Amino acid sequence: MFAFIVRRIVNLIPTFVLATLVAWIVIEIAPGDFATQFAFDQVDPNKAERIRSVLGLDRPWYVRYLFWLRNLVVEGDLGTSLTSKGSVTALIVPRMTNSLVLLLPATILTYLIAIPIGVYSALRKYSLGDRVLTVFSLIGLAVPNFFLALIFLALSVQWFQANGWFLVPTGGMTSTDYSDLTSFRQLTDVAWHMIVPLIVVVTSSLAFTTRIMRGEMLEILGQDYIRTARAKGLSERVVNYKHALRNAIIVIISTIGGILPGLISGAGTVEFVTGWPGITPLFIRSIFAQDVYVIMALLTILTLLLMIGNLISDLALALIDPRIRY
Amino acid sequence: MTRTNPDVTEGAPTRQETGKSLFSIAWKQFLKHPLARASLFILGFLYLLAAFADFFAPYPENFLNAYATFQPPNKIRYRDQDNRWVGPYIYQMTKSIDMQTFEEIWTVDESRRYPIKFFVRREGVRERYVPFPVNLIPIGLRHKLGIKPWATLHLFGVDDPSDRTKLYLWGSDDVGSDVFSKILFGARVSLTIGIVAALVSIAIGMIMGGIAGYFGGWIDELIMRFVEVLAAIPDLFLLIALSATFYPLNLPSSALFTLIVIVLSTVGWGGIARTVRGQVLSLKERDFTAAAKAIGSSNGRIIVRHLLPNTLSYVIVVLSLIVPSFILVESVLSFFGLGIQPPATSWGLMLSTAQAFAGVTGLTERWWIYTPGIFIFTSVLTWNLLGDGLRDAFDPRSRQ
Repeated sequence: MFAFIVRRIVNLIPTFVLATLVAWIVIEIAPGDFATQFAFDQVDPNKAERIRSVLGLDRPWYVRYLFWLRNLVVEGDLGTSLTSKGSVTALIVPRMTNSLVLLLPATILTYLIAIPIGVYSALRKYSLGDRVLTVFSLIGLAVPNFFLALIFLALSVQWFQANGWFLVPTGGMTSTDYSDLTSFRQLTDVAWHMIVPLIVVVTSSLAFTTRIMRGEMLEILGQDYIRTARAKGLSERVVNYKHALRNAIIVIISTIGGILPGLISGAGTVEFVTGWPGITPLFIRSIFAQDVYVIMALLTILTLLLMIGNLISDLALALIDPRIRY
Repeated sequence: MTRTNPDVTEGAPTRQETGKSLFSIAWKQFLKHPLARASLFILGFLYLLAAFADFFAPYPENFLNAYATFQPPNKIRYRDQDNRWVGPYIYQMTKSIDMQTFEEIWTVDESRRYPIKFFVRREGVRERYVPFPVNLIPIGLRHKLGIKPWATLHLFGVDDPSDRTKLYLWGSDDVGSDVFSKILFGARVSLTIGIVAALVSIAIGMIMGGIAGYFGGWIDELIMRFVEVLAAIPDLFLLIALSATFYPLNLPSSALFTLIVIVLSTVGWGGIARTVRGQVLSLKERDFTAAAKAIGSSNGRIIVRHLLPNTLSYVIVVLSLIVPSFILVESVLSFFGLGIQPPATSWGLMLSTAQAFAGVTGLTERWWIYTPGIFIFTSVLTWNLLGDGLRDAFDPRSRQ
């Protein structure tokens, strides 16, 4: 097992380095660079060139990439943001935290709701309840996240116009008087702001997870060993929960590694629409400003998260499924 | 099969049952799926609207009207004040601003009726268009061949000699464009980009997967490592970064369309290649491959004629399931301002208008700017249902 983990991690390194290289090349292909926006400065026509040489943007792209990689590996330094002039790490960490504050409850809620619903649907296949839930999950899959978030915001304004107070806020993560509040009120304030993004994120991931869970459960219930279990007189409860559910849950565990990056992507548009100060709004802003190091840092961290996530789900599978041994 | 009396021989044996191909079985199964059939119908309708958008839309794609921003939909009336049938007509709407609250107030001017006519011709240079099958031919080639099939016919339009009154069936947006017309033109981008990108991804995925699986060795290693690297970068962020490579270039919309297709298929082909490779790995051990080799077929021929066709049922199902995801992704990119650019439009881009004014107005005022979302929803839902139907149709275990 230990040897397997080491081998997997060693195997990840070249993929990781190549992924950062691909990301770097993609960013390089974009026309212009950070200094381009100063190219038409009326007062100082050489401003763009000067900025370029100060920031080292005039060197070839592979030299800059190698410097960036060296700093990352040797010093754990993700570079300096070109727009905010501060360290990229200091810029990113609060954003990551904000995203996690939204995504952790979303993940937990998704599983808490999706697994029972999926099992219920599978056990009562084609019942009224199953049909209603299937329709809901089809709808959840087809509604774009950002559209749902937009509708919620518009409804929130509607409520305000009708009643004079906000049922849910129209965006952001905290109220304007956040710093004056007691720490308990601060907590409830964030929770209040989280309602809309949380509902939207959970809705879409719920639809997806429920469908997987239902499909897998149905597949397993059709297996021979389930018939055997029934034939030898086990109670329906034992058959369903001990024989079927335990096997069906494996597929959920194998997707658990992709859940976090998946949710970050899924929540991305929601953060953007509701003004939640998470990763995606920062990423979009940096893309428009061509702030290379912030873009690279986010891509790197997310890539790392995805790889670690996949590793974890492989290991979790090995732990849970006795048939898998490394 | 109900056979009444097995003892009676019914004349000559009518044995016309030939072997059924996988696809004819699948098609029969597919037609038994009511939701999939309905989806096929709805999608057909949507694609028809998109194809003949110029004809169905009362106004051209780049139509602007500074006098009527966020005008509510015109109410279509059929009877005059005395309740007599006069055919469909609208009243002009005028905007005024409430000086106390600075709210826009639209009032209906009932002094004059503007009838709605069907099959109207608009001869203006800006309003003529190239009808559907011809507009697929690139402009350069059209000029070379000397085809100039300008059309001027529209399904309906408001009859106003002064051309001041506009018919806004579903209201107008922030620049006074007709939301209804824009939705039809946006359908062209939103609905076709998914299919084209899916076809390109599948072509790349099949070829790469076929090569990797058939040849094995270092080629396999190289291709699969590349797939792994692309899969390691989270999709949304890779897509955004890729789109950022062309958004500042100010390209014509056809070039943007091609670039978005390239971006989507760059991200999309990996998963397909992986599965096709797995299938080819097992297919190449089968007897028919050995037979093809024995009669001296080239490697390329074996891959293209013998191995890849066997993965087709998988590929068709994948096609119908990645089209909706690409439709969603395109809408997200356009929504972020990284996809299609004005004056061309797509549903995602239209919703970014709603985003710009979100948190300012409630849902009931200006509800019409949210309509593109309903179209995204409908097309994704129907594509998903179509895909489910196809998957069931090709799955031998779920046959009825």
